Amino acid sequence: MKFTHFDLLALLSSIAIILIISRLLAELGRKVKLPVVMGEIVCGILIGPTVFGYFCPGLFDHLFPKTGGAKIALDGLTSLSVIMLLFVAGLEVQLSIVLKRGKAAIYTSFTSMIIPFILGFGVVWFFPHLFAFEEKRRLVYALFFGIAMSISALPVITRILMDLNIYKTEVGMLVMAAAIFDDLTGWLAFSVVLSMLGKDGEIINVWYTIGMIITFGLFMLIIGKKLIDRALPWIQTKLSWPGGVLSICLGFCFLGAAFTEYIGLHAILGAFIMGIAFGDSVHLHEKAREIIHQFVMNVFAPLFFVSLGLKVNFIQNFDLTLVCIVLFLAVVCKLVGASLGAWMGGLKGRDAIAVGFGLNARGAMEIILGTLALNAGLIDERMFVALVIMALVTSIMSGPLMKRFLTVKPERV
Amino acid sequence: MEPFDLNRLKGRPPFPFETIAVAISFSPRLEALLSAAKRIADTLQASLLLIHVGEKTKEKEDRLEKLVTKLAIDEKKCRINWMDGEPVETILRLCKLNIVDLLIIGALSKENLLKFYVGSVARKISRKAKCSVLLLTNPSEEFQKVKRFVVNGEESPKSIPTINTALYLAKAFGVKEITVVKELHIPGLAMTMAEDNTAPEASKMKKDFAEEEEQGLNSIIGQCDAGNVLVNEKFIKGKPGYTIRNFAENKKADLLVVNSPDKKMRLLDRIFTHDLEYILEDLPCDVLIVHSRIS
Repeated sequence: MKFTHFDLLALLSSIAIILIISRLLAELGRKVKLPVVMGEIVCGILIGPTVFGYFCPGLFDHLFPKTGGAKIALDGLTSLSVIMLLFVAGLEVQLSIVLKRGKAAIYTSFTSMIIPFILGFGVVWFFPHLFAFEEKRRLVYALFFGIAMSISALPVITRILMDLNIYKTEVGMLVMAAAIFDDLTGWLAFSVVLSMLGKDGEIINVWYTIGMIITFGLFMLIIGKKLIDRALPWIQTKLSWPGGVLSICLGFCFLGAAFTEYIGLHAILGAFIMGIAFGDSVHLHEKAREIIHQFVMNVFAPLFFVSLGLKVNFIQNFDLTLVCIVLFLAVVCKLVGASLGAWMGGLKGRDAIAVGFGLNARGAMEIILGTLALNAGLIDERMFVALVIMALVTSIMSGPLMKRFLTVKPERV
Repeated sequence: MEPFDLNRLKGRPPFPFETIAVAISFSPRLEALLSAAKRIADTLQASLLLIHVGEKTKEKEDRLEKLVTKLAIDEKKCRINWMDGEPVETILRLCKLNIVDLLIIGALSKENLLKFYVGSVARKISRKAKCSVLLLTNPSEEFQKVKRFVVNGEESPKSIPTINTALYLAKAFGVKEITVVKELHIPGLAMTMAEDNTAPEASKMKKDFAEEEEQGLNSIIGQCDAGNVLVNEKFIKGKPGYTIRNFAENKKADLLVVNSPDKKMRLLDRIFTHDLEYILEDLPCDVLIVHSRIS
């Protein structure tokens, strides 16, 4: 297929519209303290089939064609975006913080992950009629739903802790540590689930997948990290700044993604683990880290999050019952799991509940998870919409509720 | 061996160092190590406990006796313990039983990757000890004046006892000033700044964090007993452990003083590197790990 002049025109116009409108909406949302991702999702709904496509179908099809070169190119860009998003998520996963915080962090991390997972898994397993999936995919669907309930969104959580000025308190550090752990285990587990899906929807190669993830992970975190530690000082001083470090980091992100895709795992896993290896390096300058984040979060993240609204009609696929079930389960599971762990780790009642609400924020991570599951054909569009709404609602409610339950004047660590 | 009641150690202040143990291994550096330990013990008026885990032979006994005589170690203030068993556990157990305040061990500055993960005796002891540990990288038979102390000033209940221990040593050895280093590391800050901050907001956020850190360190130092020793403050951005190690190396410090770990160190702490592991993987100078005996 040839990439025509009109394809290029449609692609450039659609990218321009996405970047400009999403930025304007994100800035509007920022005024009332809404997460950036909210503006991007709303932008997708406004310029997608839900609103713009409904009122001006002809122009919509012209700008965002459903077939052809422009469509393929935009899909390619969104795939690159999700890989880079997972890379930058990995950059912030510093497990040493969890390990350093000791018992309380281990308890909170573990229970905030495992209790939502078990409850989520159990609901799908014992009440399958509430959800829509093929019977042969019951296990994978239940595993996915368990993970969807247990994941947390580190970026939103960090923002909330900073806004509340509790980042460096016992509660703040505990929430950070648990969010890091939930991110790490959630994405590793989700990679296993994605890799379990065969082309015809059958479950394949579970032990191979787990074995490969462990081998690749350990290799990158022991040998790979040492090599990165040796190479980064050279890259940051001998190559042009910041172009050199940006190209090399993203180059290795794609190399890791390509490798895991090649060996039968999902590309996101390679990018995520590569992100952890780079992010854990003592030689990665804070400035370089900021530049990578700026580049990905302000150029590629909008492309990805807006594209969701282009693909899915949020009104047609809005199922109030499903949204309520997903939202209720998500809040209850996380609140119970995280608060219990924090309480077992020694926090008092109200602070333990504040930890629960802090970790309840799902944000962009849940939306990425939902998109990958939708693309893999694991969930339908109704469930996807329910997950997006749950992610946005939990992100918005997290800060105010955390503030309400925190005891006055939390002590610094 | 009789069971040991850990309560005997709890609450004991980290200094003065009344009993100093030395783990000896009959390596070529033995004389230099004993010589350095004797100088420290004499300065601090402490008694010495020499520990060797391994076979007791006539040859070893003669060599040690000759050294004790040559270095003029006061035999009344020095005991020698010959033990069999697993070196790390045996040394640590003896230290507990004898209420040792400081354990001195000779250590290589750097170990290869395999040894780093498997662990040498000196490193293993540093991770597990219930008393303060002094790792001597280059012990000398000759007296060498110490001038530069670098001390960790992280926000932790252990930091005040650690800085006070460094000040106690500084006063005893005539060191006029010490530098307390605060490492500035805020995980997730880059990610948060990337999304939704205007330039002035981002600058303000960074400035606020820096001010908060400064207040934190000032408050810690304000609670320490500096006496006539000048306490300098230094704030450096970077990963804890690694940053202070580099600073100590660049400043050609004679001694780096850090807090003991808050928990038991395991293999995972070497894979997802703990602050202390950055120092242990490449010792920049002699390192004192202060065990404050508060949990």
